[in-house]
Amino acid sequence: MAEVDRRTVLKGVGGLAFVGGSGLALKYAFNTDDQKQDPSQLVAKDVSESDKRLIFSNWPEYIDEDDGDYVSTLTQFEKDTGIDVKYTADVNDNNEFFAKVKNQLGSGTSSKRDLFALTDWMAARMIQVGWIQKLDAAKVPNLHANIIDSLAKPEWDPGRDYSAPWQSGLTGIAYNKAKVGEIKSFKELLTRKDLKGRISMLTEMRDTMGFLLMVNGGDPENFTDDEWQDALDLLKKARSDGQVRSFTGNEYVQDLASGNVLACEAWSGDIANAGDENLVWIPPEEGIMIWADNMLVPNLATHQDNAEAWINYYYEPEVAAKLAAYNSYICPVKGAQEAMQDVDPEQVENELIFPTDKTLSETHRFMALDEATMRNYEGDFADVTS
Amino acid sequence: MSHLDEAPSPQTPATSGPSRDLRLSQLTKEYASFTAVKSLDLVVPQGQFFALLGPSGCGKTTTLRMVAGLDVPTSGRISLGDTEITYEKPYRRPVNTVFQNYALFPHLSIAENVAFGLRRRGVKDTKQQVADMLELVELTSQAHKKPTQLSGGQQQRVALARALINKPEVLLLDEPLGALDLKLRRGMQLELKRIQTEVGLTFVHVTHDQEEAMTMADTVAVMNQGVIEQMGAPIELYENPRTTFVANFLGQSNLIAGEIEGREGDHVKVRVQGALASVPGDRAHSESGTGWLGIRPEKVLIAEAGEPIDAPGDVITGGYVTDVSFVGVSTQYLVRMPWGQELMVFEQNTGARAMLAVGTKVDISWRPEFAFLLDASQDAKAGIEEE
Amino acid sequence: MTSTAGVPPVSTNDASGVKPRGRKLTGYWLILPGALWLLIFFVIPFYSLLASSLFDPDGSVLTGYEMTWHFGNYWDAFDQYKGQLWRSLWYAGIATIICLVVGYVLAYAIAFKAGRWKNLMLVLVIAPFFTSFLLRTLSWKLIFADDGWVVGFAQAVHLTDLLNIVGLTTTDDRLLATPFAVIAGLTYNFMPFMVLPLYASLEKVDLRLIEAAGDLYASPARGFFRVTFPLSLPGVVAGTLLTFIPAAGDYVNAQLLGSTNTKMIGNSIQSLFTTQLDYATAGALSVILMVIIVAAVMIYVRTAGTEDLV
Ligand SMILES: Nc1ncnc2c1ncn2[C@@H]1O[C@H](COP(=O)(O)OP(=O)(O)OP(=O)(O)O)[C@@H](O)[C@H]1O
Ligand SMILES: [Mg+2]
Repeated sequence: MAEVDRRTVLKGVGGLAFVGGSGLALKYAFNTDDQKQDPSQLVAKDVSESDKRLIFSNWPEYIDEDDGDYVSTLTQFEKDTGIDVKYTADVNDNNEFFAKVKNQLGSGTSSKRDLFALTDWMAARMIQVGWIQKLDAAKVPNLHANIIDSLAKPEWDPGRDYSAPWQSGLTGIAYNKAKVGEIKSFKELLTRKDLKGRISMLTEMRDTMGFLLMVNGGDPENFTDDEWQDALDLLKKARSDGQVRSFTGNEYVQDLASGNVLACEAWSGDIANAGDENLVWIPPEEGIMIWADNMLVPNLATHQDNAEAWINYYYEPEVAAKLAAYNSYICPVKGAQEAMQDVDPEQVENELIFPTDKTLSETHRFMALDEATMRNYEGDFADVTS
Repeated sequence: MSHLDEAPSPQTPATSGPSRDLRLSQLTKEYASFTAVKSLDLVVPQGQFFALLGPSGCGKTTTLRMVAGLDVPTSGRISLGDTEITYEKPYRRPVNTVFQNYALFPHLSIAENVAFGLRRRGVKDTKQQVADMLELVELTSQAHKKPTQLSGGQQQRVALARALINKPEVLLLDEPLGALDLKLRRGMQLELKRIQTEVGLTFVHVTHDQEEAMTMADTVAVMNQGVIEQMGAPIELYENPRTTFVANFLGQSNLIAGEIEGREGDHVKVRVQGALASVPGDRAHSESGTGWLGIRPEKVLIAEAGEPIDAPGDVITGGYVTDVSFVGVSTQYLVRMPWGQELMVFEQNTGARAMLAVGTKVDISWRPEFAFLLDASQDAKAGIEEE
Repeated sequence: MTSTAGVPPVSTNDASGVKPRGRKLTGYWLILPGALWLLIFFVIPFYSLLASSLFDPDGSVLTGYEMTWHFGNYWDAFDQYKGQLWRSLWYAGIATIICLVVGYVLAYAIAFKAGRWKNLMLVLVIAPFFTSFLLRTLSWKLIFADDGWVVGFAQAVHLTDLLNIVGLTTTDDRLLATPFAVIAGLTYNFMPFMVLPLYASLEKVDLRLIEAAGDLYASPARGFFRVTFPLSLPGVVAGTLLTFIPAAGDYVNAQLLGSTNTKMIGNSIQSLFTTQLDYATAGALSVILMVIIVAAVMIYVRTAGTEDLV
């Protein structure tokens, strides 16, 4: 009798302990910390001198390569400085890359990279939470001397103290002219019957939603919640009608080239780089979205000096011209247009690289968003795209 | 003696129309490198209990499988009455099998196993029949178990019930009683025989057990290496074997080498180690040259040398006893003959005379009508089962 | 999820009187590696998932998430993603059924008809595993390309029209980016998980039982449904589970072969976890998916009644 009672009691106590323990574990063991960091506390000892290396993460197909007699800018840099550059094209999507490094940077540990390039809004976000090291202005004189005016003072880094644009670019429409007739506006993309199920759009919320806002007559730089909702509804409808085949990152070019996709939202340089003359990029009638990808040095980077040498190097007009001639993206460096004369005279007047003031006046940026709004909008957008 | 010549009598039920004998002709089954059944001819009259007896690997199962339709013969014919069924699909033959390995369906209960055949033939209400059948094999209480929960003997009875319930024209039994203990086995033998007589089915029963074959069957066929050595009523096979294999496989025999002198009236004379013996013409299966004179041990009379032997017959003298074993109802002697061969002699313990001791000089004798004569080209040891 | 905490040690015989202390402890030592394994690879990840499903939805990766027993996440996640949930179960179900039918025929052929080609055929069944899952799936993109001959052929034999009528495609001029392509991808990718268990259980079926069924008036078809199929049920159950469960949670096929209208729950969870960083909804959705699958599996196994088949 006593034995039974004892057992029951033991069982009860055990059960309670289990439930209580589980509850406590759930409540306290898995919470995540605030990811804000203080970059001044997270400066690694710089080993640039002794360990001549630089680890740089960039977007795919974003740099010129050695080709026969042609010596790429990267190879030239290595020759000039003796620095061994480990260049990896592992940035395919801002959010994806953010997820990749957030555990380290958010917890104040090293991301094992010295430099990476992210689009304006993501660069802003990282600087804001203190994940990015300040650049030593004395070591990047070319940056401050040569950056073009339109990129010199973004509101999120007015003195370019933390960031240096790698390239800037335009988002517009690309289509395969061998398979489909001329396309002029983003609206056609969303409505033309012959494009049904044959278009793709970008998973970059700011690019895609910027166009949808403009299709509705809005301004991406200044819009209300209602306008946002209308634009989102338009996107939802295009999706549920089966007009949109997919939302993609950088990989849309393959589908466009193979003919699975006839037309898509596209970044200007990608199409020029694809080397397929049937693929054309056009600025849509509604307007153009403009953006820049910015080089950033993360906390605890161990080769900051090398990174700064790299930045400084790419802000030499001749180097910038070489890179731009290959990339066909907007060159952020003053004097590169003149330098282009020697590099590739045909490109001097290329508006994709050196846009006129008139073109620049038609471009739009996306409104700066506070963290909460951004989360809502990102969530709304992701619900449609995934 | 007359009963020896009696043809096996089929117990044909009164209701039968035209005869539905099972007939195998020239049936042959060859495997890649091996002939399992060689040009077999066999008639099993309708309603008969037919036993197929033979050593392991002689082709019994193969023969049954061809009858059941599970193996296709290489050549030859199988027919049931006037219908040829050589190539008929197994599920269209009015033939069922009790498999050597039972082959019970493990996912079905005992009752479901038994009902399987009826169900497949569209019988709706199987309950009563299944209950009756389980009653018959004394498994009523196991009806809802699964086969794996039963003992070997119980499983065998399920296999029997599962086949019997279909009342097929021919029931093939492949050693169905092998796993049963002696008592159950005797019981089942009687039961089988009773069922067979009652329902008038043709049973083809394969067995290793000669006693089982002889007590149950109307006709026994002795099979060896793919051929039927001899077929007939049990008593005929025992009394008048045609081959050394049958003589040794069915009971035991003394086989003595001899010179055949030739036919004299209705007897054949044989010279055996100097003495002259005679064999009735219908029991002599060889007429010239050398031969095996055969005599069953229990037919051999024995007496101390010089003592009179009570029944006149062919006598051979000069032996002595080398071994005596007492088995209760009888005594078994081994007698070494002058030419070195040891003969077996079984004597009823009538008490008329004291047991003979080892070393005793003896004479032996047998009545000529019990002797048989076989061709000497056969192996005298064929069919002796090594223990 | 069940009582990992309360597992009793291997008990020694109570009737044996005095229990040596050491023996009793041995039991605990023996379950230690298993328990550790379970703790590290199941209990902790599961608790972590459970905790994140109850995070305050107003948190964020940057500001930190706090667990506030916010059960509302479940309803929000379910309400928002019920379409994808339903679609996942639906696609996985169709793929599983196709896998079962095709896989059964294949496994049957390998087990009973292949003869000396048996081993070769088995190798061919698992051969796709020699290349990566992603590559294999991507290659279907080439096969089903809009301008490819497969689409041309499908149009010529009006397969596309048929698929369009039954709703597996949305237009009649392509196969990619349709439910059909996603289901085809799932079917293709999970087929070996169906074939192998089916083969294993068919292989064990005693041919003599099939003969016995034939002897008992069952035509080959009936013999199959009454004997072979029931005996292969353990393989059917194992195969369907091994196919359905990963298929229901898969996101690669929908991602590569599907369109925005064919996203499955795996895509939603993946996106919530990796790009939107909405851990609360992602966690809740994962737990919901898990509960649905566990419940479905339990009902299924009960109904299939495999416990009787030893
Ligand atoms: N599939 C086969 N391939 C080759 N040989 C076979 C095959 N099946 C049977 N045999 C051979 O045929 C012969 C007869 O086999 P069977 O099974 O008919 O013997 P049996 O008389 O029933 O023996 P037992 O009393 O041991 O059951 C055996 O020697 C066996 O090895
Ligand atoms: Mg056999």
